[in-house]
Amino acid sequence: MEIKNEVLYRVYFLLGLFVVPAALTLVYRTFQIGVIQQDKWKGMIREAKHIQEREIEAERGSIMANDGSLLATSVPIFDLFFDPQAPSDEDFNEHVDSLAYCLATYVDNSFTVGAMRDHLIKLRTDSTYNKSRNVPIKRKVLYAEKQRIEEFPLFNLGQFRGGLIARKRSERRRPFGLLARRTIGYIREEAKPIGLEGKFDQVLGGEPGKELTMFLVDPKHDLWKPQNNLTAIEPRNGDDVVTTIDINIQDIAEDALLRAMERHDAEWGTVVVMEVNTGAIKAIANIGRESDGWYESYNYAIGNATEPGSTFKLASMMAMLEDGYISLEDSVDIEHGKTTFYDEELEDSSPLSATMDTISVRQAFEMSSNVGMAKLVNEHYGNKGLESAAHFIDRLREFNLNLPTGIELDGEASPFIKDPNDKDSQWSGTTLPWMAIGYELQITPLQMLTLYNAVANNGREMKPYLVSSIQRYGETVRTFPPTVIKRRIASKETIRQVKSLLEGVVERGTAYKLKSDQYNFAGKTGTAQINYRRGIRGNLVGGYQASFAGYFPAENPVYSCVVVINKPRQGGYYGGDVAGPVFREIADQCFDALMELHPAINVGKKPPMAGWRLPNGSIGLKSDFFTIMKDLRIPFSGNPGTEMAVLQVAADTLSVQPRSVQANLMPNVVGMGLRDALYLCENSGITVKVNGFGKVIRQSLLPGTRANGQTVWLQLE
Amino acid sequence: MSNFVARINAELKGDKAIWAILVLLAIISLLGVYSATGTLAYRATGGNTEWFLLKQGLILFFGLMLTYICHLVHYTRYSAWAPYAMAAVIPLLVLTLAMGTEINDARRWLELPYLGLTFQTSDLAKLALVVYVARAISSKQDYIDDWKSAFLPIIVPVLIICGLIAPADLSTAALLFLTSMGMMFVGRVALKYIGSLIVGGLIVFAFLYILGDMFPDAIRVDTWSSRIKDFMGGEQREIYHQAVQSKIAIANGGWFGQGPGNSIQRYYLPSPHTDYIYAIICEEYGAIGGTLLVALYVFLFFRVTRLVTKSPKAFGAMMAMGLTILLVFQAMINMAVAVDLVPVTGLTLPMVSSGGSSLVFTAIAFGAILSVSKYIESTT
Repeated sequence: MEIKNEVLYRVYFLLGLFVVPAALTLVYRTFQIGVIQQDKWKGMIREAKHIQEREIEAERGSIMANDGSLLATSVPIFDLFFDPQAPSDEDFNEHVDSLAYCLATYVDNSFTVGAMRDHLIKLRTDSTYNKSRNVPIKRKVLYAEKQRIEEFPLFNLGQFRGGLIARKRSERRRPFGLLARRTIGYIREEAKPIGLEGKFDQVLGGEPGKELTMFLVDPKHDLWKPQNNLTAIEPRNGDDVVTTIDINIQDIAEDALLRAMERHDAEWGTVVVMEVNTGAIKAIANIGRESDGWYESYNYAIGNATEPGSTFKLASMMAMLEDGYISLEDSVDIEHGKTTFYDEELEDSSPLSATMDTISVRQAFEMSSNVGMAKLVNEHYGNKGLESAAHFIDRLREFNLNLPTGIELDGEASPFIKDPNDKDSQWSGTTLPWMAIGYELQITPLQMLTLYNAVANNGREMKPYLVSSIQRYGETVRTFPPTVIKRRIASKETIRQVKSLLEGVVERGTAYKLKSDQYNFAGKTGTAQINYRRGIRGNLVGGYQASFAGYFPAENPVYSCVVVINKPRQGGYYGGDVAGPVFREIADQCFDALMELHPAINVGKKPPMAGWRLPNGSIGLKSDFFTIMKDLRIPFSGNPGTEMAVLQVAADTLSVQPRSVQANLMPNVVGMGLRDALYLCENSGITVKVNGFGKVIRQSLLPGTRANGQTVWLQLE
Repeated sequence: MSNFVARINAELKGDKAIWAILVLLAIISLLGVYSATGTLAYRATGGNTEWFLLKQGLILFFGLMLTYICHLVHYTRYSAWAPYAMAAVIPLLVLTLAMGTEINDARRWLELPYLGLTFQTSDLAKLALVVYVARAISSKQDYIDDWKSAFLPIIVPVLIICGLIAPADLSTAALLFLTSMGMMFVGRVALKYIGSLIVGGLIVFAFLYILGDMFPDAIRVDTWSSRIKDFMGGEQREIYHQAVQSKIAIANGGWFGQGPGNSIQRYYLPSPHTDYIYAIICEEYGAIGGTLLVALYVFLFFRVTRLVTKSPKAFGAMMAMGLTILLVFQAMINMAVAVDLVPVTGLTLPMVSSGGSSLVFTAIAFGAILSVSKYIESTT
């Protein structure tokens, strides 16, 4: 009993000295870590990046043309990698041969099957390959191909057993290539967002979702397992932006502009086509010279304000007409195309002016006389001090020529119009006459077009716009209706008068060469000297800027269009010679496409069928003839009892005559098509050999020869 | 239903509390292992995590059956078998050292011929040695203070077995040595001998350390030293260190845990289903759950203490006590690793960690303890 007690004491000793203290320590330690220091250790979960908030990329919306054609869209693409260490030996050895075959045949032709096999084995075993677990298989693979590669032996065992890793990303594609590239724009990292992509980034981009993820395999593979019980925010995919761009007009505009650029070896050029009654931009093309060719690398139409030259004379004319200072029948002395203002010489660019002195205002405008326009403006606004000059500027402001159009794109240049009341604007005595003809001020092609469009639209100024609606999953969620900037920029009478002037320019003025006999259009040429003022002071003349602004058809304008071509170096430099033809080409093609403007050509009586066209002597299956003639509604007579028939034309009637074929005799197949000839011959057991094509003109066996399996040669023609 | 309970009551002899502890541990094991093997199962079977649940369930069922069978055996039989078991274990350990299978960089495993199953020979050795020491101590109670006739016959087998296990698995060797000393202390072996053993043990460890420096392939000294250095250099650990991850797991559990299957740290802990299962249990069931698990093992110790006082024969008491010391010490060390109190050992949590042979031999140990308990019940 004593021993037992001693043993018991010793057990208690063990219990009390080791087991219970150890247990208490464990429990204390557990609570210390788990409860007391909980925040410290738990905080490390995020620090260790076990749980990470990852963005789920939202699918970017598309940019579409007005008919729904995709101008820019995102497609998912995959980069495929192979982890050679992932498969087990068993799986790898079993499938390596067939995998090598598939890869060498369908993915990478630079390997033979054997070489691919050796390569795969090396990747897995050879340490010199660094045992990479991310061997690229193929990059930029579309979904369908990815699916096909996933079916390859070994890969079809799944990612963990097969080792194929597919990383998804999305790529922006432009189905129409470079069409309207600058206007569509782009978003790139570390670059200023450009064009519609940039402006509508918020709309197109959608909202990325959020997902709490964690490592599944290891950080090296960047392989994450989504944690379902942690809240995830679904991404909201981007909306589609529907533009006003008409891809056909855009294509015409770009094509015509590019050819003009090449023909004249110019610096840059731009074309904008606008729908007259809405202001919707149907096409906007920009082409600039680069060292290795022509690119759409800058939006000249919107971002580049330049001295417009003669196209601006429209504004001068409108101002004077509004003020009632002139009528079109007034006369002006153009002094044989040369005059001076404060010792500065002003010349007409047309050599015709040298023979003229006093002409009508209308003529001065239509032949684009600089002297005439400058003198008129100077006479009416320049001779009563700054106050009257300011009145001219006020008129220009009434036409909104001092304001940007407010088009959706970023980077629109503001117009520069001098102000006589502003001491900083370097107003001088020569400013007014030069402004009258489009110098000493800067304006973008689009702003100029907006004025012409307003004239075409009977004085109602429309805001140019590129985006007509926003769509989500094909449903329109927001529309952008046309916006009126100003109900009436000038009186009806003024508009009527300038319209007749613009028509006159084409009818008999500087653009008479461009006249079309299909339709009428109206417009104004412009031939601006770059750095004009410095040029006449003996400095370098910077070349010319040819332009044309107008609208068509003249009577009922549908589209307005501006063409500007900067620094043409060959083949002329006049607006009428360089920019005008581009306008005309675009107008021609647009006019052709405007169905509603063409009179129908198919109204009236159908012409009677000409007799000589009726098929005389054709031989064939009777039922075929019937089918054809009934379908074409050709009246015919006769219904022979034979299977084959021949057509006979007498006067203007067609009759079907019998053509008998006897069994086991070689038929007469001359005049038949090959199908009928083959049918008849082979039914008689004759083998047919053919030469040529068309109808049978010769047969090597005489008609009526008994058929016993011989061969007949048919000559077709 | 009451019939069923009555039936079980009739079938299961011995201390029902110990049975209850066993079954509770088995349930915890099933839950813990299922959670913890999530990643492992995902990778190995392509997402078929149920396979691991099934496997662990089968092993546990088999283990409980073994416990049942072993508790039916009269405990004195174990005494009779002990010498044979020892005779078998020594060559097996030699064989394991010579040609065992390496799993997790340690050569502790022997492949069973034809079956394709591996088992850790040290698990068998633990059982055999504890039973053998119990037999030796109990049979020499009358002259227990004698050096030559009592102490040597007890200590020599201990040293042989521990010596054979140590090169590949120092932790188990140390545990076994510690258990043997505990048994000797309880079995009234003179304290001076035990004291000299502690000194001797330290000398042996030092000797092995030097030897390992000379033959790094044979003895895993670099592993030991790196683990100890690692443990000492506590503050400089980087965040992916397993001890840090284990603490994160416990902290993530807080008071009540994240709930079954919601462990995050199982993805980052190196052996969530064995070494760090305590951390996973704390993460899913909280510090409360962890405390209950600790309490289960302490409760086991208490219940077996009751046996000691009631056991009519010294062997029964010694064997039950020895096996309990072994299980509880091992459990404490395993959990101490998870809470970063001791360096990484590789010891499993008895009855809870996954792993076939560990579970099977733990089940047998429970069977032997219950066998003693059953006998006491039948005699008192």
